[in-house]
Amino acid sequence: MRRPPAVMVAVVVHRQHVPLKNKQKRDNQPMTQTIHMALAGNPNAGKTTLFNTLTGSRQHVGNYPGITVDYKEGFFTHKNQEINLTDLPGTYSLTAYSVEEVVTRDYLVNEKPQVVINIIDASNLERNLYLTTQFLELGCPLVIALNMIDVAKDRGIAINPEKLAVLLGVPVAPIIARSGKGTDILIDQAVGQSGQQWQPRDISYGEDLDAAIMDMIALITEEKFLTGIYPPRFTAIKYLEHDDQMLKKGQQENSLTADILEEKVTQVSDHLLKTMDAYPEAIIADHRYGFIKSILRQGVQTQNFDTDRLYTSDKIDKVLTNRLLGPVFMCLVLFGLYQLTFSWSEIPVSWLESFFGWLGSQAETLLPDGPVKSMLISGVIHGMGGVLGFVPLIMFMFLGIAILEDSGYLARVAFMMDRIFRIFGLHGSSVMPFIISGGIAGGCAVPGVMATRTLRSPKERLATILTVPFMNCGAKVPVIALLIGAFFSENKAMYMFLFTLISWVVALLAAKFLRLTVLKGPATPFVMELPPYRFPTLQGLAIHTWERTWQYIKKAGTVILGISILLWAMMSYPELSAARKADFEQQRQLISVAVSPAILAESSSKSDAVSEEALTLRQKISLINRQESEQALRHSLAGKVGLTLEPISTLAGFEWRTNIALVGGFAAKEVIISTLGTAYSMGDVKADASDSLGQRLTTDPNWNKVVAVSALIFIMFYAPCFVTVVCIAKEAGHWGWSLFSISFNTIFAFLLATAVYQIGIRIG
Amino acid sequence: MNFRKFHRKCACLADKVRSCVPQPPCHGHGHAHIAPLSESCRSGRLRICKITGDRKLCARMASLGVYPGEEAELLCPENGAQCLLKLQGTTLSLDSHTTKNILVTEI
Ligand SMILES: Nc1nc2c(ncn2[C@@H]2O[C@H](COP(=O)(O)OP(=O)(O)OP(=O)(O)O)[C@@H](O)[C@H]2O)c(=O)[nH]1
Ligand SMILES: [Mg+2]
Repeated sequence: MRRPPAVMVAVVVHRQHVPLKNKQKRDNQPMTQTIHMALAGNPNAGKTTLFNTLTGSRQHVGNYPGITVDYKEGFFTHKNQEINLTDLPGTYSLTAYSVEEVVTRDYLVNEKPQVVINIIDASNLERNLYLTTQFLELGCPLVIALNMIDVAKDRGIAINPEKLAVLLGVPVAPIIARSGKGTDILIDQAVGQSGQQWQPRDISYGEDLDAAIMDMIALITEEKFLTGIYPPRFTAIKYLEHDDQMLKKGQQENSLTADILEEKVTQVSDHLLKTMDAYPEAIIADHRYGFIKSILRQGVQTQNFDTDRLYTSDKIDKVLTNRLLGPVFMCLVLFGLYQLTFSWSEIPVSWLESFFGWLGSQAETLLPDGPVKSMLISGVIHGMGGVLGFVPLIMFMFLGIAILEDSGYLARVAFMMDRIFRIFGLHGSSVMPFIISGGIAGGCAVPGVMATRTLRSPKERLATILTVPFMNCGAKVPVIALLIGAFFSENKAMYMFLFTLISWVVALLAAKFLRLTVLKGPATPFVMELPPYRFPTLQGLAIHTWERTWQYIKKAGTVILGISILLWAMMSYPELSAARKADFEQQRQLISVAVSPAILAESSSKSDAVSEEALTLRQKISLINRQESEQALRHSLAGKVGLTLEPISTLAGFEWRTNIALVGGFAAKEVIISTLGTAYSMGDVKADASDSLGQRLTTDPNWNKVVAVSALIFIMFYAPCFVTVVCIAKEAGHWGWSLFSISFNTIFAFLLATAVYQIGIRIG
Repeated sequence: MNFRKFHRKCACLADKVRSCVPQPPCHGHGHAHIAPLSESCRSGRLRICKITGDRKLCARMASLGVYPGEEAELLCPENGAQCLLKLQGTTLSLDSHTTKNILVTEI
């Protein structure tokens, strides 16, 4: 096999590519010399891991390609040198095929970082160097971070970094991003490179293409065509590679020159097609690999011991992605996750429940009567307590998901689900957004909607955006857990599994419906790199779990608290008229004066052991109290809304107090549980202040198993929360889709809930 | 430059396609044949001969390390649906549209 030799010719430095001093202008601090570095490399090579190690930040890392979709900046100091580091999305090439590639390339050419740190997965050197060849052609000052040398070593691959550095003409530092090993040297080298000018280096593409490239360079240099942005040779190569973005930019810059270049490219392409039956892209790729191979063969990479042909990862895959065994295993994993989540969280959840109960009864006895007391008990303690009480459950769920993600299993789930997703008009890349939104239970539709950016086809992307809110996000999980715990406590994990399945089935059917009606269009290819199985690190798991749990707590303490108090106010005001209040007071008086003062004193005492008469008195008074607070709630603004909706909502079995919670859920789904807590603690004076919401619901005559299922169905599928709605509008590019999502989901959920309720009560 | 000279210079690709052919027999037919990956009947080693179809696909596959001359291992043949292909240090999941356009030969 003939291979082009490793040729690399240093080319004259182009005036336009002198590193920009304008960074300082932008920062307005002309004297502090902050060095701007960028992290680039293949997806899943460990860029974000290194970014986090260096800057101490906590960007999301996952064993799944395409986790980072936008660039992030961070700062750190290395030996008194301030460094500004940017984490870029992973790309396989610098040709604009997808959003990530465009983001990365645009960043490099527009921002012109002083050094690019190219992270390379040492266990997969050849493929990773493909991108490196393009960085060399672009000419940015480059340092290679040879990451994952631990993995390479396990696979028996030995790499000689010095040799690689000499042959590529670029410093190479072996590192382990996870532990931070070798990063000091890497940054030393990067700082050393930062003074360098942009200097494109050439790779030979065979005589014919080289000749064509030379012709094009001559024209490009003469016309100063895009030379402010790209080196001429880079432009020529991208033209030959038929890079859409480059062609478009060229047309805008100077359509005359662009036409000549395109003409030239067509000529060359036709010629190559006729003679070799290959497009220029194929030949360019072939020469790049030839260049890489010739370097690797010069003693850069050696296989130390003959490992089995298949790595452990592949052997596991043979079983776990098997046509039959794979899905069975997937179901077992999910079921096991729920089982563990519920059993481990049961005790801490009950602790928190009794803690908030205790807090409620303390407030009840210690605080003076009045609106402040009512707000603290009904709005804050019951409202927020309902949400915070589920923190342990949410935490275990997040831990489980973090393990699945970091081990690499989620990527296999995407691989297996693609087959099913295709049937419903979705795409393999839709799987991850579904899981992020809560496909396993406990996620959030907002990052889920954003994760659809990895989808290329607009119609498939829209279908995904509109259906991911059906998943059980972290805010819905407490409601589901509460209702399951209250009405189906025998078999919690089973019911959780069942409701998760229902959410997937409904989402997929809705997607199919959309793809058959408003979003008709062809299916697009799905190609993905499966990451190797890795042992999750304790630190990584802890960070993931804590980050997501903290988000949940923070939201409960801020937004949800605010909405809870607002809803409490809406449920308390306008108050009953003075006349009505006086009326209730009079009723109490009437009963009280009818008994002897001794019994009156006995009944208002704290003791439980009281005489029969005192007990009857207590019950009578509490009945009046309950009637009063129920009247008050009915009279309030929220009560009126709930009552207005009741004639319709009873079709699905919801009474007016549930309606208040469901309306609150339009703002945020956590509000459902906090409002249920408030509504049922206000309208229910008989119950102890320490009773949990679950207990209240099971004893309420308006609630039973059928209502619980109907409510669950409605809550799972009705309008997405406000933040998601805004996000949908942003990502879909039109408010119409948000409105569609609100109305479509609500109507659909209501019809489904009604069907469930009507059938349920008839069966019994 | 004349056709012949061009062909000689860039013959590496053509070489590879040719070198795919005289390989050990496949399916007991007595001669090796080039077939789309989607038609591969069993898991095992194979060599990539050519990427056909859309020119974008060819370039995208190359950036993922799938290019003529490379050896790969088919992990789970799916006959039409998604399949797993192991190359060098990576495992790729490819769908039927893509596998139809990757011509391979078993080795
Ligand atoms: N064994 C080992 N694993 C590593 C190392 N560096 C990173 N990882 C793991 O590799 C996986 C990918 O890491 P990320 O940092 O998310 O990769 P990325 O390059 O940012 O990926 P994208 O954002 O998807 O482009 C994670 O599971 C890391 O824990 C390393 O040096 N050794
Ligand atoms: Mg990343």
